[in-house]
Amino acid sequence: MASLRLFSTNHQSLLLPSSLSHNPLTSSSPRFVKNPSRRSPIRSVLQFNRKPELAGETPRIVVITSGKGGVGKTTTTANVGLSLARYGFSVVAIDADLGLRNLDLLLGLENRVNYTCVEVINGDCRLDQALVRDKRWSNFELLCISKPRSKLPMGFGGKALEWLVDALKTRPEGSPDFIIIDCPAGIDAGFITAITPANEAILVTTPDITALRDADRVTGLLECDGIRDIKMIVNRVRTDMIKGEDMMSVLDVQEMLGLSLLGAIPEDSEVIRSTNRGFPLVLNKPPTLAGLAFEQAAWRLVEQDSMKAVMVEEEPKKRGFFSFFGG
Amino acid sequence: MKWRPLILSNVQSSIGKAKLRIPSNLVVFRRRPVNLNWVQVETKRRFVCRAIGDSSTPDEDIQNTQNDDNVVAVVTTTESNIPSDSENSVSRFRSMITTLPPVVFVMRKCSGNSVWIGICIAATVLVAAIRAYAVRKSRDNQPAGSVADLVRRGQLRSGDRRGISKSLNYEDPFNNPFVKLDQGNSTVEMCGKVYRLAPVTLTEKEQTIHQKRRSRAYQWKRPTIFLKEGDSIPPDVDPDTVRWIPANHPFATTVSDIDQDLAQTNVYQKQGVPFRIRAEHEAMQKKLEALQNEEKLNNLSIDSQNARDFQRPYKFATNPDGENIQKNPQDNLTGNPSSEETQKT
Repeated sequence: MASLRLFSTNHQSLLLPSSLSHNPLTSSSPRFVKNPSRRSPIRSVLQFNRKPELAGETPRIVVITSGKGGVGKTTTTANVGLSLARYGFSVVAIDADLGLRNLDLLLGLENRVNYTCVEVINGDCRLDQALVRDKRWSNFELLCISKPRSKLPMGFGGKALEWLVDALKTRPEGSPDFIIIDCPAGIDAGFITAITPANEAILVTTPDITALRDADRVTGLLECDGIRDIKMIVNRVRTDMIKGEDMMSVLDVQEMLGLSLLGAIPEDSEVIRSTNRGFPLVLNKPPTLAGLAFEQAAWRLVEQDSMKAVMVEEEPKKRGFFSFFGG
Repeated sequence: MKWRPLILSNVQSSIGKAKLRIPSNLVVFRRRPVNLNWVQVETKRRFVCRAIGDSSTPDEDIQNTQNDDNVVAVVTTTESNIPSDSENSVSRFRSMITTLPPVVFVMRKCSGNSVWIGICIAATVLVAAIRAYAVRKSRDNQPAGSVADLVRRGQLRSGDRRGISKSLNYEDPFNNPFVKLDQGNSTVEMCGKVYRLAPVTLTEKEQTIHQKRRSRAYQWKRPTIFLKEGDSIPPDVDPDTVRWIPANHPFATTVSDIDQDLAQTNVYQKQGVPFRIRAEHEAMQKKLEALQNEEKLNNLSIDSQNARDFQRPYKFATNPDGENIQKNPQDNLTGNPSSEETQKT
């Protein structure tokens, strides 16, 4: 979209970060090189006229956590993961929820999960047999930790997940660009297992006080564990309630938690429909507001960027007299 | 003779002469034909109007009047019947409008339709106002997020739900026609709503303050060992790194019967048959071999005691030569005529 580029250029004081090392207007088509030695972080304004360039060391192992349950971790994992796959990156999504498996439902792959990590550890199958490849986007794969009714010899803690990640790095078809881990709710053994191999985190929260308190606690645990690159996604944002001062704004949430903003996802009833259908939101045509927001968040994740401005709802423009006739 | 005053409002139009302005001091001398009845025209204006009874021209009339003995000098000056100044101005204004030729022309043309035009204009304005009110009312009444709201905002097509819509050509995630930017006011219009961009105000200093606060509030050591509640802590393990698992936790409900090294090997396996499958296959192979060997052994050696139990009495069979042949029951068991006793009778 050329118009968005023009808008960004006109508001350089607000949107452009202090260090702009990349000129988006003169960039050529991106070339995705697997296993680079080290990449410098790219700081740029969100641009819709080019594909994002991968920053950081591959594979990028990202854990999506929240503390509080029901805020949208699994939805974020599914939509961000598929957005990354649409951008052309190879993605492996791991559902690290030991007792309650949901990621396969959101992706519509529940009938194709035959083997899980438990079977791999027990020796019932190989790792490549447990990976479920999405037929819509062949560079997206799903790996579930366990089946709901299976017994779990996971007394090794996070070591099992570390082995899995390491095995994915050294597989014959090449290391994936992104390994996204869907963390279970809470801060018990499942949480500790999920965050073990991660080197960056996405904290999903909603603009309510209970979620914020849990998110703050989880952020402290992540920082104690050595994960410093923590970004926040504020989910289920109701701009009308923010306008009526019944809900905290995204900037208020950021002020309370002190984390960089990766995305602000508006409340959208289409999320429930997509969940029930097993069709992620980002694949909708035309895209919804929430789907667009997830795509933008994935874009910033690739380039290790953060939001520089948030959208605040305003009153619609008053139309002239003659607009009554035109509708 | 009495003068009959006759008030005419449209004197000029009735005469049919354009822009005929008669000064007030005009005196018309006219021969009074015998057959004509003089009719004095009286108007609201201070000018003399001539009511012509015949078709003669003014000059001709004047000329005729000079020569005629029956000339009657008619000097008529009309006086206005409106005594007050305001009424004078109103009458002046009214007469000015009425003397304007286009207005006069239109009024003559559309004198009967002016009411209808006004009615049409009023009806249009009323319909537009009612429509705007109805739209605003429906927008307020519809709950956000409902199916009707999604259809109205363009996020959901009604045809999709009925299976009659055509697929949209939308493959590029970077080009969304539903997002419109206003380059002047820094606003974005998406899905029927207008948004303004507000800059993020978090600084690095504030981020550092939050990190320090959390490091003071949440002291945490990564647990390296998971123990079920009730188990004893190994001697060489830091108690702070022990994570106690409730008895009903999935981690605690099973006893791991697999070695850690073996588990790691299983995870790193890239090709070949998985460990457990291979182990089961080998176990099955061994069992089959054992079964086969056992059958062979059974076939080779049979217990005599048991064999006697299974023995049947000797039967005498006659051969084709007429001799009686005693058959050994053991032959029947083995199927091989190992021994054959012929008993010649």
